[in-house]
Amino acid sequence: MDRARPPAIPNDPLTTNFWQGARNGELWIQRCRSCGTYIHLPRPVCRNCQSFDVAGERVSGRGTLYSFTQTFKAFHPFFVDRVPYIIATVTLAEQEGLQFLTNLVGIDETEARMGMDVEVDFEELAEGYVIPVFKPLTAGART
Amino acid sequence: MSRRVAIVGVGYSDVGRNTGRSERHHAAQAAVRALDDAGLTAKDIDGASTWGGDAVDFAWMMGFDRLQWSLNVGTSPAFITPAYHAAMAVAHGHAETVMAFRIMMQQPPSSALAAGSAQLNTPSPGDTQFQHPFGDFSPTQWAGLLMNRYMHETGATEQTFARFAEIQRAYALMNPDALQKEPLTAEQYLSLPYITKPLRILDCDYPCDSGSAVIFTTEERARDLKQPVVLVDASALSAIRDMNFELLDDMVRTSPAHCGQLLWSRTDLTPDDVDTAHLYDGFSVITMQWLEGLGLCPPGQAGDFVMEGNTELGGKLPTNTDGGAINVGRRHGANFCIEAVRQLRGQCGDRQAAGAEVSVWANAVGMFSGAMLLTKG
Repeated sequence: MDRARPPAIPNDPLTTNFWQGARNGELWIQRCRSCGTYIHLPRPVCRNCQSFDVAGERVSGRGTLYSFTQTFKAFHPFFVDRVPYIIATVTLAEQEGLQFLTNLVGIDETEARMGMDVEVDFEELAEGYVIPVFKPLTAGART
Repeated sequence: MSRRVAIVGVGYSDVGRNTGRSERHHAAQAAVRALDDAGLTAKDIDGASTWGGDAVDFAWMMGFDRLQWSLNVGTSPAFITPAYHAAMAVAHGHAETVMAFRIMMQQPPSSALAAGSAQLNTPSPGDTQFQHPFGDFSPTQWAGLLMNRYMHETGATEQTFARFAEIQRAYALMNPDALQKEPLTAEQYLSLPYITKPLRILDCDYPCDSGSAVIFTTEERARDLKQPVVLVDASALSAIRDMNFELLDDMVRTSPAHCGQLLWSRTDLTPDDVDTAHLYDGFSVITMQWLEGLGLCPPGQAGDFVMEGNTELGGKLPTNTDGGAINVGRRHGANFCIEAVRQLRGQCGDRQAAGAEVSVWANAVGMFSGAMLLTKG
């Protein structure tokens, strides 16, 4: 097995714009066009109003850190050389309880604090394979 | 039609690491021992449920009677699901005597995962595109998130979990079924490296091959059988979201809190009546959630409850008296049922809680869970 290859992403019409957005340096989350509810993970129907009129939409990329865990063991060949790394969940600013699983970067684990403001960043794992990660909100970036 | 239901037989296979025996072999060993424990024959069984293998396949293999009722369970809150539905089938007269199984084969080791020669099974493959690219593969990772958040909100510390591990191991040393047989101190726990900080290996259930079987029948029939009668007083299942532990927006009050409300709404008993508790410990923080979710201690205070010695033998609420799955191996929830039954029968030897008349056992956490309240008949 090619140790350098990150986990394959399936061809999934519901998530195409999420991954294309990441390549463009944007965070896209599915939203119901009927009632405005954000839906993550993407589903064919809105769990608030049962509308099928759902589509990806660019979001602010701001949020707060909900929890994190520094991973010391690799569970896949690609990550053998990347441990330790921080898995985190972020509550996105757009909606209460809108949780997003990501990696926390740009901060030492001992400095991370639940509730801290974070913002999206992007990391290219392989050519054309970009993931949205989160880092502490840059000082002065708050508007 | 609703009949009172009893548990009349329990049994394990020869549980161990990489046993080399098949799912059918583990099922057969557990079934034979459960039948023997109950004083029943294979022909007395007319219903079967399982997670792991196939209920009808096991029934034919064992020579059960023609089945009136059977169920194969998929991804769900561990053993409570085949057990809950077995009890329901008996209660509603769809079967007289049902055997519920959980057959659990050992998962591949992390060394094989890191080498790429094995992968963990996943219940919803499409959703892994929001996990795997971020290096999120293993249940130890969502458990690390839950544990860190739990500590953040409640003030529980690594010392709390070290003490919890120490207490569970002390029970295991009194249980001949335990796989972990060496004494353990809190200091030894704290000296171990993190897997997913703050989680260490002794916060995890112990991987193994296991077969467990439990026989449910009517109270009336149970009175004619060989064991002291243990009755199902109440039970509940809960599911609060899909199979994404990581995306729970409240990682401290998850499905067990909902399940606890449901359970107590279905009985005249109260949390104060519980003599022993048998609470899932696939990861140690799950037991903390159950202590709180079932109202066995105040919200956010399970850590203090453990540190004060309440869960030890002789304490207010002996908990996980078999040593938990951290010590008896991953029997995926069935061990909590079987140990609760043994406590109510008074068959726990050195680890017997004096005067146990009401026991609760509970499985799973996060998006789904289940609990069952048992009483001495």
